[in-house]
Amino acid sequence: MSSNQFTVASPPADAISALKFSPDPNSARIAVSSWDKNVYLYDLRDENGIVGEGKLLQKFEHRAPVLDVCFGKTENEIYTAGLDWDVRKIDVNTSTQTVLSSHEAGVRNVVYSLEHNLIISGSWDSTLHVHRPDAGANPDSLPTIVPLPSKPFSLSLTATKLVVAMASRALHIYDLKALALLSAQADETAAGGNRVEVEPWQRRESSLKFMTRSVACMPDDAGYASSSIEGRVAVEWFDPSPESQARKYAFKCHRQTSEDNVDVVYPVNALAFHPVHGTFASGGGDGVVALWDGITKRRIRQYQKYPSSIAAVAFSGTGRHLAIAISPGFEDGKDDVPEGIVKIFVRELGETEAKGKGAK
Amino acid sequence: MGKKRRGPTLDELLARPWCYYCERDFDDLKILISHQKAKHFKCERCGRRLNTAGGLSVHMSQVHKEQLTEVDNALPNRVGLDVEIFGMEGLPDDVLQAHQQRVATQFQQAEAERQAVTGNPPSGGGSGGGQPAKKPKLEQPSDLKKRLAEHKAKRAEMLAGGSSGEATPVGAGQPAPTPTPTPAGYSQTPPAAAPASQYPYPQPYGGAAAPPFQQTASPGYQAFSPASGKQTPVAAPYPPSGYSPQPFPAGVSGQPPAPGYGATPPPFPQQQPTPTDANLPSRPGSLPSASGLPQRPAFGAPPVNAQQMQQMHMGHPIPPTPTTAGHANGDTSKETGQVSSSVDDLISGAAKDAAAKGPEPSEKPAKKEKSKLMRMIFSDETTSPEEKMAQLPRYAFVPDRTAPTALGELPGAVVVGTIRESDTVVDPTH
Repeated sequence: MSSNQFTVASPPADAISALKFSPDPNSARIAVSSWDKNVYLYDLRDENGIVGEGKLLQKFEHRAPVLDVCFGKTENEIYTAGLDWDVRKIDVNTSTQTVLSSHEAGVRNVVYSLEHNLIISGSWDSTLHVHRPDAGANPDSLPTIVPLPSKPFSLSLTATKLVVAMASRALHIYDLKALALLSAQADETAAGGNRVEVEPWQRRESSLKFMTRSVACMPDDAGYASSSIEGRVAVEWFDPSPESQARKYAFKCHRQTSEDNVDVVYPVNALAFHPVHGTFASGGGDGVVALWDGITKRRIRQYQKYPSSIAAVAFSGTGRHLAIAISPGFEDGKDDVPEGIVKIFVRELGETEAKGKGAK
Repeated sequence: MGKKRRGPTLDELLARPWCYYCERDFDDLKILISHQKAKHFKCERCGRRLNTAGGLSVHMSQVHKEQLTEVDNALPNRVGLDVEIFGMEGLPDDVLQAHQQRVATQFQQAEAERQAVTGNPPSGGGSGGGQPAKKPKLEQPSDLKKRLAEHKAKRAEMLAGGSSGEATPVGAGQPAPTPTPTPAGYSQTPPAAAPASQYPYPQPYGGAAAPPFQQTASPGYQAFSPASGKQTPVAAPYPPSGYSPQPFPAGVSGQPPAPGYGATPPPFPQQQPTPTDANLPSRPGSLPSASGLPQRPAFGAPPVNAQQMQQMHMGHPIPPTPTTAGHANGDTSKETGQVSSSVDDLISGAAKDAAAKGPEPSEKPAKKEKSKLMRMIFSDETTSPEEKMAQLPRYAFVPDRTAPTALGELPGAVVVGTIRESDTVVDPTH
């Protein structure tokens, strides 16, 4: 059944690395980072503020492919991370870019915590950089560098926690309050290059056997979902009590059986929680987007297959829209990314479309 | 074993109503219809449940001014609106047939799994003949042949005399129950006699075993009888080699007799593979019994046996009977050097086949899906797709500052080398 779905005009020229909706419920802006070295800012609203088909507002060129993007305090503040090793802040109104910090390798993720006013970036140099944009007196304050045991592949935030999914199936959960405090202290004490060993609140091993692809936190701060390259999603809870830990589970998805009865298993590239209903969407290399109810362990719906691999999915701040970015996926044994369609779809969700159903 | 009825029969399964859109099956047509209304024909906007996809399409366009493009919650290849489905009505023939085929194969698979696990006879329900009853539906001619072959084999066994009496119990010990016939029948004579008779070969074999063989061989394995006939005169001092057909199945039941027959491959290059391998394409049509047989051992015979067999044929001497093995090797090298190697190839291939089949039964019981082969689109465990992409030349980026920092460091390194000289120069200033 088709809910209203439309494609966003003027999509990026190359594969999409990330897509984020502005978390502000009053905003309908979408930021998209791409391998074509640009960050695109779209707005679904027209001049009169009516949500419609959407249009490209602005394009910000970078020196290298951009791997992640996120909104800051307002819809006019964007942070980006990319292969040029930099974490940047973009002021949309003035179109100015500021380099916040530079890693020692490509920067895969950047997230912004509204509650603690922190920007956290994760890089393949196996560090997190914690930035405090309002360092106040010291505008040149350097980021706090938090070493990690492995390369981070995905970051996700709740109001109080930061989940870092890394290579070697490692997973750290940091308490944001502690992180903010430590970085503030480090800022005062050390003058430069402040490396701070931060003990994570919890260290976990991924519940999935294969490389973690994506991690997303529940909006109610209770837990998170993670996905792997082997068509599987795990749902688990922060609460370390045995009762809560017993609730964790994983399930298979994004697989197809080919004619010769071989199970073709796609990576689950993207996860996103619905801000209101607490359900989540998964996007796979098979070009399928599915909505799941993590509590009742049921699939709510699965949308018709898209023509390329799903690169990213995101819900709008109100939960009324689901944006889906498709790009050709990187496959085994390929030296290059196959040709494919790069597009951004936005689904206008029905009132109950993403709502979980009652338990069986 | 108290349960008499383990599950539905194939007919019951085939009769179950199922949903075209998601291939789920239901107890009752009513439930199917309500499922379709709830899952596939429900309007997303207002929740109204329509009876058909067409009805929903009209509803969507008239009430909500939207175009319905696909059926919700449907399998990817069934989302189309062109097929008007209501309950079980409107199913395209090909889809219906494919479904029935699938149900049948699944049922058989489940049956085979159960057999492999429990070792129970194939009869699924209380009624007799679960497997024979349903197999005809799929491939009648081959099955008929199989049964004919089994029958022939049984008759051959009967002819073989008293030995067949021993054969059945041992065969029944294996998961495949009654139909193990011919090879087991052959093999049975040796294990009883062989260990003892290994060294004093000529008398027991020549006396007791030979006649039955020539008789039994002719119906089932025509090629064997002439060969064995030739063999006996030539290799008179080593009679065991004349009885080559026995050892292969014998390997399954017991080790000791096996090494003695290590010599056997050469004389029967073509026949050897047939007992071991189920799927050799070169198998002559005149041996239908073979087609029926190997299927069963595939479940029962663990991969080890295949390896053992391979070893035997490779002529590796096994400790207990070094002397016979020595004779065997001598024979092979003298008589047919080249052939033996090709036979080895065949047999090792067969062994591989068997090994490939081996693990299957052990996995199957765990979960149906696990037996499926899996192909991962992306399977690198250490490097994420993004990192791989980043390594592509067109995305390559070398930060500008690496150059300056490198330059900054380089002089330092150079200075290290020149420090001594500079020290001497600088010293005076101190």
